[in-house]
Amino acid sequence: MKPLHARYPFMAGAREAVQEASVDLAEVVATDEDVVERALERVEWALTDGTVGDTRRQTRVELLSYPVARVIVSTVDEHICTRKYAQAEAASAHERFVEELETETELRSTRQQHLSLDALLAEFDLGTAVRETGDGFRVTVGTYLELAADQWGDEWRLVNRSLVDGEVPVDREELYVLLKQAIRHRVVDGLPLSVPDVIAENLDEEVERVRETLSNMDLTTEIDTVVPDLFPPCMKHLLDQVQKGEHLAHHSRFAIAAFLTNIGMTTDEIVQLFEVNPGFGEEMTRYQVDHIRGDTSPTQYSAPACATMQSYGDCVNKDDICEDEINESHPMSYYEHRVEEADDDELTDWREGAGEDGDDDSDESPD
Amino acid sequence: MEERTRAYLRGRFGDYYRRAELSPPPEANEREWGYIPWTSGPGETMVRHKSMLDIGAIEEFLARERPRHVYFSAGRYDDPSANSMSKKTWRSSDLVFDLDADHLPSVTLGEDSYAEMLRKCKGALKRLLDFLEDDFAFEDLTVVFSGGRGYHVHVRDEGIQTLDRDARREIVDYVRGIGLDPDGIVRTEMRGNVTARVLSTEGGWGRRVHRRLLEFVSDVESMAEDDALERLQELDGIGEGRATTIYGAIQKNRDAFEAGNVEAGGVGVRTLVDSLVTEVVTDENAPIDEPVTTDTNRLIRLPGSLHGGSGLAVRRIPRDELDDFDPLVDAVPETFTSHDITVELDEETTVELLGDSFTLEAGVVSVPEYVGVFLMARGQAEKGQE
Ligand code: SF4
Repeated sequence: MKPLHARYPFMAGAREAVQEASVDLAEVVATDEDVVERALERVEWALTDGTVGDTRRQTRVELLSYPVARVIVSTVDEHICTRKYAQAEAASAHERFVEELETETELRSTRQQHLSLDALLAEFDLGTAVRETGDGFRVTVGTYLELAADQWGDEWRLVNRSLVDGEVPVDREELYVLLKQAIRHRVVDGLPLSVPDVIAENLDEEVERVRETLSNMDLTTEIDTVVPDLFPPCMKHLLDQVQKGEHLAHHSRFAIAAFLTNIGMTTDEIVQLFEVNPGFGEEMTRYQVDHIRGDTSPTQYSAPACATMQSYGDCVNKDDICEDEINESHPMSYYEHRVEEADDDELTDWREGAGEDGDDDSDESPD
Repeated sequence: MEERTRAYLRGRFGDYYRRAELSPPPEANEREWGYIPWTSGPGETMVRHKSMLDIGAIEEFLARERPRHVYFSAGRYDDPSANSMSKKTWRSSDLVFDLDADHLPSVTLGEDSYAEMLRKCKGALKRLLDFLEDDFAFEDLTVVFSGGRGYHVHVRDEGIQTLDRDARREIVDYVRGIGLDPDGIVRTEMRGNVTARVLSTEGGWGRRVHRRLLEFVSDVESMAEDDALERLQELDGIGEGRATTIYGAIQKNRDAFEAGNVEAGGVGVRTLVDSLVTEVVTDENAPIDEPVTTDTNRLIRLPGSLHGGSGLAVRRIPRDELDDFDPLVDAVPETFTSHDITVELDEETTVELLGDSFTLEAGVVSVPEYVGVFLMARGQAEKGQE
């Protein structure tokens, strides 16, 4: 086991080292308190700090705490926990590799094995997708999109990039961000693992701790009340159209379905809310909503931002709150704002009074 | 549509399929297949979630079933015939683009003839191909006439196969120019020890805007001063003062424009660039139908099959034949060109096919079969007694 592996435990080499040392994870979990403690720390810090905390001196503890942390996350099995954990692993690794790559070669200690940019690219199979040019790097467009599509910020949008001959120019800093993303994907990959009982049993306490931390966290941004009266004008309009049975363009359907999903509605509830509209067709609605929810595809879609709504002509009846309070940023921000402002007794959840049945069986035919 | 018309069309579709040589898409056995039969009653019901195992060899299946429409999925799956998307287990998807005359801003529905709509659609197709071949440098492209109101492009390059919906949306936004930020295509560069704002000229929308800027500059240069100033003031946000500055900058320092330096000429030139951005997006974007491209499970018409709403063939178009391709000639199935048939028309109508224009009165008329099939498939005529 090498120190390099302890610093970057998600690397294929690290996993191999663990295998070669024929470590029995069940035994580690049962007997090695240091490893378990550090594993718990990784997850707890991920939730509270967005990093995985400071590395431990002992290579073995540091390295083995990674697979154990993944086991804990898998046993907790909460979407938000998994997400935050992967982000934190990636953020910490990013910080480490940037520092390591940017340190002048002469200053490096010769005894330690160091990471090179080439090695890092090769680790993620990016050796051919990324090439260095005089003034930065070029990334093939498919790879760029895989790594940048869920990045925030207009500067990452492909439309604002100098795409040429199938390649996107990026500078060094941006390349590092893309690598961070690749790490995040690597960490998420395979989660949740199926955890054998013998291992899970010995982690009860740790899992309980993480659950507690989760429930104490202020997750106010994750709204889960459904009060149509407080919806932003654009979504009210779309919902209205749906309920009137108007045919909606696909992007509009996507917008309303994603919005409702984001505020915590389940597929069944959305189907029920939509069923008044024959244009939707139950199977189609169910399928589309599932798709947006991420049940049938790997990503969960978030409702479009105001800018996107506007470019598709879906921003309708925008009001003072749009302009002055949320700065035409995001329909979710509008809704959060309204829910925060509202008195508790105004907040009657639609689901508490719901219940009519629709019937129809039409299907959408493709072109 | 009356039963005898339906029976006739189904029979003739069968004759077409018995003779047609269809080449199925690659990995046909990993895809979902679907079709719409010639059934009566309102609403077309699609039979879907079929695999090659269910339907057998595609040519035999088509000759036997003689469907009205046939589709295959852009996606490939572990189990293409499972009847829910999650059970299918998605592996990868072609990247598919759909240009439909109905969605083109330049098309006036109800006014443009079918031929005119298709001509405009081909213009949009060329703009799309420009993006796909130049900017994206895709290599495995199949261009297809949809048999209806437009064109499809299937991209099967390795690098895009596993992109998810969000990533595909980025591609849509790129070819449509959605979210293009004038500041996004301008870089701040160090020139000696001052910073300069420079338009990205090497690629992307920056290159397109730059090209337009240079054309504009050349135009202005070729004009007499008064005309030039007038032309400049036609742009949003440019009054007499700014027009004079820009004009001066063009006279003095054309090289700066060549280099994409938008600092030369000050605020005026920036305003100029901003208004060109809007113009370039309007003129050069490819108005594809967004959901088709972002949906990784989309069903698309099978090239070589017949479009049940027109009786025209869904045709693959070799890239070097695109310029000469005329859908209203080249997509007319040969099977339907050998004799005349009788149809009953509700209203008078005009049809352009195979280079001829047919003006037909309402009532019972005798027409070449391909004209009759076209009218019946579109629901404008019923089969008459022979
Ligand atoms: S500004 Fe945003 S929230 Fe307001 S109506 Fe438009 S899209 Fe909706």
